Amino acid sequence: MKRFLLFVALAAAAGAAAAQAWPSRPLRLVAPYAAGGPIDISARLLAAKLQESLGQPVVVENRPGAGGNIGVDLIAKGPADGYSLVMSAIATLAINPSLYPGLPYDPLRDLRHVTLLVQVPNVLVVSNDLPAKNVQELVALAKARPGKLDFGSGSSGSTGHLAGEMFKMMTGTYLVHIPYKGSAPALADMMAGRIHLMFDNLASALPSIKSDKVRALAVTTLKRSSFLPELPTMDEAGLKGFDMTTWWGVSVAAKTPQPVVERLSAEILKAMAAPDFKERLHNMGSDAPAIRTPEQFTSFVAAELKTYTELVKRSGAKAD
Amino acid sequence: MEGIFANLGIGFVEVFKLQAVTIAGMSMTLPFNILMCLIGVILGTLIGVLPGIGPVATIAMLLPVTFNLSPIAALIMLAGIYYGAQYGGSTSAILVNLPGESSSVVTCLDGYQMARRGRAGPALATAALASFFAGCVSTLIVAMFAPPLAEVALKFGPAEYFSLMVLGLVSAVVLAHGSLIKAIAMVILGLLLGLVGTDVNSGVLRFAFGISEMADGIGFVTVAMGMFGIAEIIGNLEQKEHREVFTDKVGHLWPTKDDFKRIIGPTLRGTALGSALGILPGGGALLASFGAYTLEKKVSKNAHEFGKGAIEGVAAPESANNAGAQTSFIPLLTLGIPSNAVMALMIGAMMIQGIAPGPQVMTERPQLFWGMIASMWVGNLMLVLLNLPMIGLWIKLLTVPYRILYPSILLFMAVGVFSISNQPFDCFLMALFGLLGYVCVKLECEPAPLILGFILGPLMEENLRRAMLLSRGDPFVFISPSKPISLGFLAASALLLIIIALPALRKKREEAFAAEEQA
Repeated sequence: MKRFLLFVALAAAAGAAAAQAWPSRPLRLVAPYAAGGPIDISARLLAAKLQESLGQPVVVENRPGAGGNIGVDLIAKGPADGYSLVMSAIATLAINPSLYPGLPYDPLRDLRHVTLLVQVPNVLVVSNDLPAKNVQELVALAKARPGKLDFGSGSSGSTGHLAGEMFKMMTGTYLVHIPYKGSAPALADMMAGRIHLMFDNLASALPSIKSDKVRALAVTTLKRSSFLPELPTMDEAGLKGFDMTTWWGVSVAAKTPQPVVERLSAEILKAMAAPDFKERLHNMGSDAPAIRTPEQFTSFVAAELKTYTELVKRSGAKAD
Repeated sequence: MEGIFANLGIGFVEVFKLQAVTIAGMSMTLPFNILMCLIGVILGTLIGVLPGIGPVATIAMLLPVTFNLSPIAALIMLAGIYYGAQYGGSTSAILVNLPGESSSVVTCLDGYQMARRGRAGPALATAALASFFAGCVSTLIVAMFAPPLAEVALKFGPAEYFSLMVLGLVSAVVLAHGSLIKAIAMVILGLLLGLVGTDVNSGVLRFAFGISEMADGIGFVTVAMGMFGIAEIIGNLEQKEHREVFTDKVGHLWPTKDDFKRIIGPTLRGTALGSALGILPGGGALLASFGAYTLEKKVSKNAHEFGKGAIEGVAAPESANNAGAQTSFIPLLTLGIPSNAVMALMIGAMMIQGIAPGPQVMTERPQLFWGMIASMWVGNLMLVLLNLPMIGLWIKLLTVPYRILYPSILLFMAVGVFSISNQPFDCFLMALFGLLGYVCVKLECEPAPLILGFILGPLMEENLRRAMLLSRGDPFVFISPSKPISLGFLAASALLLIIIALPALRKKREEAFAAEEQA
């Protein structure tokens, strides 16, 4: 009898909880990379903010592996109840679908994209030993010495790699791609003059640019960056329409209820407007993205997916 | 020279500065930075002792907390966690044969053997003292020579790294004290295991068998804990007759006078080697402890004791890894280039605080730069004061009966391995490596060369292929006169190979081992 009463009490409590407004229990935010990278750091910053505003713990869970695909797949295939979030990024949403042939999820069908959190430009940086002082001189040099210039990148299929491929395509030049494990060792080799140029994430290249260890020629966005306002864009430098950013945001499973997505989006935007959080994202090299609503984010993902599918195909990069 | 002391003075003032802080609504005046340093090193020691949970994950989890601190307090604490973990890592390596991170693999070799002989106390004390000495010296090196040393680091390109790794691999064979053929076989097995995962150049998956958890390769902790920890436990449980009990032979806690005499040389050499290799980003610091051990084994007059509890075999790698941990700050502080995952996180921490790491930090924010360097010295002092009294307590752990001790170690290992990427798969893989390790024990194949091959293999391949890409496929790039460093390493490797392979010498080697077995 006692047991029965306990059961009834528990069942009643559970029912009441379900009826309550979201969120009634802790949330998890999957960071599909190892702890410590910029995406992981921003996940932890965001989790702390959401915890305050939602009144529920938000637990960051690192699920690295297969270029972030494992973590994103976990959420794509997980319960669509609004309690499971993932830090999705350009790699997992736009590049990997064409890079990995057997990708287990469809970035548009299996996921709902909530908020774009960070958009960081890439910067075209060259070794100080290279005579080219601007983009036009670099193009001329690459044309004069086909197959002689090396460009580094953080990994095969990274935005740095693909930006280089886009550069080759738009200028009709031939550069040799030298992949590294992360952009730091590539930067070091460039400081020593062993490689000639690379398209690096603004945040990781900024210290070396500021200390004149490498020379920046242009940013890859259509708008100049507030970090290096004197630096022209690739577009201004003659490569019309050259537009690439590294971005990441928050996504949930596709069937997550609309009210939950809206509330989540509103809370994340509120966090992004808070001065301390805003400043920290800014310090990561991100000027506040113009994309705000879930709908805008989703169409942005669709457009990026199209661009990169094309680019990956033309670059010949691939992962099995 | 005077400038250095003036600068260090600025640093110490910053470290010991009293600050008004508000904690839980109460405002008080505290030497806040030094407190943060203390918290950092205690936390570091703890995670170092626990297998699996490394400084990278800990620092990442603590990052959001540090944003409410001043940049200097945050960096002092995070740095404390890093070098604190180096101290803690040796504790579990010595006591239970568990290398929590790559640098403590070598400490396992002789540290654990010392513990088995009832000399865990002297082993732990040696580890702490050697680390402290190395920490002090290398902190001074960072303070005095950081900028010129950073230029040296830049001299190391793919070709140089490759040749350095070759030298490392050749010396891996020296690590083993049994059969030469078996040591080579284990190195090769390690190399093969290192191939698992995504190929850097083409992005193609290799040997992953369609298991997505293996797409990024096999984790170091998984292999090391399986091969060392689990294999050791199985091996011990198997011996019904005289199962190992450390209880009765815990012995004295402190190194004897003779011990002290024996550790001076190895500590000095280990510190020098560690400081030098630590400067190299990308695997330099990793080679330091292996290199120091190999060097000692070659130069020590107690060479026959290595692998059986030689105190030199603890002092050398411990001083080397701690020295390397300190000097690995040089590329970060002077070039803004992280030499390992922890340093990358420190850069993240600095950027989010609005500081662009690099040479300008030294001139624009001298308090921060010198404060951090001074804190490293203070932190090392705290660690030695913290660790020496703890030795008695740690040794008590060995008196815990194995039926309680072993399941707890297994549990900690499983938790540690799981915590790295939250994959149950990694725990199974660790168990599998435990079995492999046990088979190796039965076949008298030693795990250390395998681990070294496993660590160096991927780095070596990456640099080989990068060097070939950059030279457009010219294999002579490694021995070209324009790359004297690479040439030197390869020449040294060839020399070492000849020494190992010379039949006469080899005979002598066998005789030495035969004599050893009789003794």
